[in-house]
Amino acid sequence: MRETIVVFRRELRSYFLSPIAYVFGILLVSVLLYYVTEATLQNGARATAEPLFGTLPFMLVLFLPGLTMRLWAEERKLGTLELLMTFPVRTGQLVLGKFFACLAYLAIVLALTIGLPLTLGAYGKLDWTPVLGSYLASLLFAGSFVAVGMFWSSTTRDQMVAMLLSLVSLFVLYQLGNPQNIEYASGWMPAWLVDTVNGLSPHKYFVSIARGVLDTRDLVYFACFCGFFLYANALALETRRTKG
Amino acid sequence: MIEVEQLAKSYGFAQALKGVSFTVQKGEVVGFLGPNGAGKSTTMKILTGYLLPTSGRASVAGHDVVADSVAARRCIGYLPETTPLYGEMRVDEYLRFCAEIRGIPADRQPGAIGRAVERCALQRVLGKNIIELSKGYKQRVGLAQAIVHEPPVLVLDEPTSGLDPNQIVEVRSLIEQLGKERTVILSTHYLQEVEKSCTRVIIVDRGRIVADGTQAQVTAAHGGSALRLRVRGPAEAVREQLQQMLPPSAPLTAEGGGDGVTTWRLGLPAASAAFPAVVAEQICRHGWQLLELAVERASLEDIFRQLTGRKAQEAVHA
Repeated sequence: MRETIVVFRRELRSYFLSPIAYVFGILLVSVLLYYVTEATLQNGARATAEPLFGTLPFMLVLFLPGLTMRLWAEERKLGTLELLMTFPVRTGQLVLGKFFACLAYLAIVLALTIGLPLTLGAYGKLDWTPVLGSYLASLLFAGSFVAVGMFWSSTTRDQMVAMLLSLVSLFVLYQLGNPQNIEYASGWMPAWLVDTVNGLSPHKYFVSIARGVLDTRDLVYFACFCGFFLYANALALETRRTKG
Repeated sequence: MIEVEQLAKSYGFAQALKGVSFTVQKGEVVGFLGPNGAGKSTTMKILTGYLLPTSGRASVAGHDVVADSVAARRCIGYLPETTPLYGEMRVDEYLRFCAEIRGIPADRQPGAIGRAVERCALQRVLGKNIIELSKGYKQRVGLAQAIVHEPPVLVLDEPTSGLDPNQIVEVRSLIEQLGKERTVILSTHYLQEVEKSCTRVIIVDRGRIVADGTQAQVTAAHGGSALRLRVRGPAEAVREQLQQMLPPSAPLTAEGGGDGVTTWRLGLPAASAAFPAVVAEQICRHGWQLLELAVERASLEDIFRQLTGRKAQEAVHA
């Protein structure tokens, strides 16, 4: 636990010591607000933050690989991975520290979009329950994507490779849970197959929590999804010790 | 302190280590010598827990590096070959991180960091970003990182490579100091470094140990020594006399100088401290003039070249 916190603190701080934190945060928030401002703030629009959270998943597909690609690949390239892995710390603690640091950083970035619901609340009657639910859902959703991206980063020393693998897998995961695709697929695929495929995607559970209904099953799903990829991540790092 | 038994490591089909065994006692400073790719770094990476051995076992301070890896790692300070550092951090931040992750309690951290900083003379650069430091300073930050938790065992992979001569002297004297209280294993290409700061030498070549012992032991076992004489006298008669005294296979070379003086070089038979005296006596008895008599010990460099260079040539011909 103590070791995890030490790694967490160093990681989180390192985001703000490099330009990545600022460039990524500012770009993501600007692009998000650019897309949704028109839809939410025009005359006669409903006071709802739905457009923001409807756009967010796809933006994360585009942006997150750029953030997660460096997490392990860079350490490996610089050799600092050798340092980390010879500290008296279990690999799982390193993985968790890094994961939660990335998540904490994303929470800060997400918090920067709070201006939009605040503005809506000032001018209209905003129902805050789905908004808060959506923030939580976004964080969990982002976490599951970080787990995937971080896993790919642990498999290679080339950041570009990690980026491309993450981008493709996140895109596929996104599409599997995309409501439009589900609707289209149910037309010709057996229902159980649609459910199974759809049930794999964090996107589906994001939509569910974002409605403002907190179901334990959704939380369990996210815990399992992240747990699976974080475990695979630790395993990939451990395998390196054998392969050299 | 360190026990290594039949350690082997393969990377795919390439065998980097082929059964290496050695034991290091507390307080020894061991110099690991060998050409590039001989297995020095691999051995160190296994000792520090970064890599797992393919077979064999190793333990540090009684902790097996595989089964009890975290405990073993706790006893080691490690400076990897490339001196990896988090460039974006300040020196003091970085050292605090290392102290924290090593589990030094918060109240003892300032003291521990202060000692490491003082030893490595980092006071002037504490507030600087690591990336801005010169190579010598980076190396010292790496060393400070390795000693901040006062480990009983230090593993330093080429601690002086790439430094300028002044920095080398500084780092070397630092290692010498550190070696007084702890067990140190260091690898290097600089043979003088081993001659100056190590109490013991291990020479590895192509995944095997080819020599192990104190410098005197290694030179005696592998290099032997030679006796150099300058004698004024009839060359043929001198040769005959010398050959009589030497075993038939012993090397004997002559180099003629002017004025009837010849310089002789003969392989000194092992375990015969009195041999030079016998030679001198014989020469004087014949009435020849003995102008010079010197025992030449093979340097570590000669032995290194002899043990590792010849094999490299064989490999080329194979």
